[in-house]
Amino acid sequence: MSAILEIKNVTRRFSGLVAVNDVSFDLQPKEILGIIGPNGAGKTTLISLISGTLPPSSGDILFEGKSIANMPAYQRARLGIGRTFQIMRPFPGLSVLDNVAVGALFGRGGGNAELARARELARAQLDFVGLGKNVDQRADELGGPGRKRLELAKALAMQPKVLLCDEVMAGLNLVEIDEVIDVIRKVRNEGISVLVIEHVIKAIKSLSDRLLVLHHGEKIADGDPETVLANQAVVEAYLGKRRA
Amino acid sequence: MKALQIPAVLIALIVLAAVPWFGSDVLVQFGINALLLAVLAQGWNIIGGYTGYASFGNSVFYGLGSYGVGIAMVQWELPFAVGLAFGVVLSVAFAILLGIPVLRLKGHYFAIATLALAQVMTAIVSNVKIAGQNIGLVLPPLNNDLLFYELALGLLVVATLTIYWLSRSRFGFGLIAIRENEEGAAVMGVNTTLYKVLAFALSGVFSALAGGIHAYWVTFIDPESAFDISLNVKMIIMAVFGGPGTVFGPIIGALSLSAISEFLSSEITSIAGLFFGVVVVAAVVLMPRGLADMLRRFRTTGWRYFAENIKATRL
Ligand SMILES: Nc1ncnc2c1ncn2[C@@H]1O[C@H](COP(=O)(O)OP(=O)(O)O)[C@@H](O)[C@H]1O
Ligand SMILES: [Mg+2]
Repeated sequence: MSAILEIKNVTRRFSGLVAVNDVSFDLQPKEILGIIGPNGAGKTTLISLISGTLPPSSGDILFEGKSIANMPAYQRARLGIGRTFQIMRPFPGLSVLDNVAVGALFGRGGGNAELARARELARAQLDFVGLGKNVDQRADELGGPGRKRLELAKALAMQPKVLLCDEVMAGLNLVEIDEVIDVIRKVRNEGISVLVIEHVIKAIKSLSDRLLVLHHGEKIADGDPETVLANQAVVEAYLGKRRA
Repeated sequence: MKALQIPAVLIALIVLAAVPWFGSDVLVQFGINALLLAVLAQGWNIIGGYTGYASFGNSVFYGLGSYGVGIAMVQWELPFAVGLAFGVVLSVAFAILLGIPVLRLKGHYFAIATLALAQVMTAIVSNVKIAGQNIGLVLPPLNNDLLFYELALGLLVVATLTIYWLSRSRFGFGLIAIRENEEGAAVMGVNTTLYKVLAFALSGVFSALAGGIHAYWVTFIDPESAFDISLNVKMIIMAVFGGPGTVFGPIIGALSLSAISEFLSSEITSIAGLFFGVVVVAAVVLMPRGLADMLRRFRTTGWRYFAENIKATRL
């Protein structure tokens, strides 16, 4: 099977600062790829480069074998790339239902033009992430954990082929984390490839098929989660720091 | 509530349509002005209220609509309808050519850029021979206020139906998503550049038609009055006062503020000038989400509604 997403020597600079430095990796169909790294490692920047909200300084990004590096964000969304935001940005004035309906109205292949149908799909998606009771609330009335789920539902309503999750478990309690892990597993079982950025090591270790570690914008490890977490460089760069 | 809405709107429409048959000449003239302002407020509602881009360039559309009719009727001796169409074409061209660069700007930068456009247009038109330079154009007179009144009302109905469609269509949802969070809209598949330009152009169509009708009605246009920026300020106040991003808010805002301002200018002329300034301050502080939202929420929250808004503005 060929990779659905290929990151090839991608670099992103912010006037002097190299946020992502010559990073390469593939995402396979139906794979859950975990990415960890200390704060400021370049994880969010990487997701922005893939989803198209930031252009890369150099390097190439292929989706299903074709370059998308110069494509505007909305076209990537229509190809099937969905993302969540670490700093959650719902459409604050809209209801929870309509926030998600936007994903169904646009999204992959241009979405579903029928508003009633889009709302139906949105409702199903909200049930799926456990926000079924909140459909009529305004999005800005949701608390932190609710907004994390809303981010997921919005991206999933786009019917993506690739889902990029930026710390969707941060700030959740253990029960909530298990629920989100369950949601992501189900998503993968539907055939979607998932890239999960996370700080919660325990969660990502059990969830990921493969784990990648970023440090100062560079990829310092990539492989089976057990092996990667035992890697000396990773322990020093990331785990060591946290324990200290 | 919802079931009563349609009959209520129809009755209001019938009453409005009947005004020229029972009202005085003065009332009809007031009505033409107020209805055209309501059309302008609705036009602004599309780009400002739904899409969240506070345009000060809508008076340019209005001016281009006026000059479309003026040039077509005076210089080319073409019928009024052709002039209207010409004005619309000019406005849409303007919206596309200047919208693409200007709509990249956000917030205050966008507002200021569009403000500059209006100034530039006044200067350009003042030097265009076919537009009568800074002297202006005198149109052939048509003494038929009934016709102008019903035209203005018809245009308002079409503008409002368009916005009603907007409020429940995929296109309208795209615009609202842009207003609420543009980056979030883009990653969900909304072609933000295209949608913003389309909203700007649609907003321009209605403003241009209002300008065209007004030009033929008053039979005279010059660059100063056609591209008058204070008209743009008025439409924003009316839309924001009534409720931006709602279907009927801008109409309620335009008609009620026109009536109050008319009353004041006939009773106490010195205060009338201050009126719109006072309305802006009061509206921003007391009801930042407009009259429509205030009326809806006032029933449940009562006077606390204002207290909460005052607190939220942190005066
Ligand atoms: N828009 C930006 N402008 C300037 N610097 C940025 C911008 N976005 C991120 N950075 C910088 O790039 C680095 C990586 O940030 P980020 O990708 O958010 O890291 P992470 O998500 O791993 O915590 C940080 O040093 C951050 O300050
Ligand atoms: Mg981050």
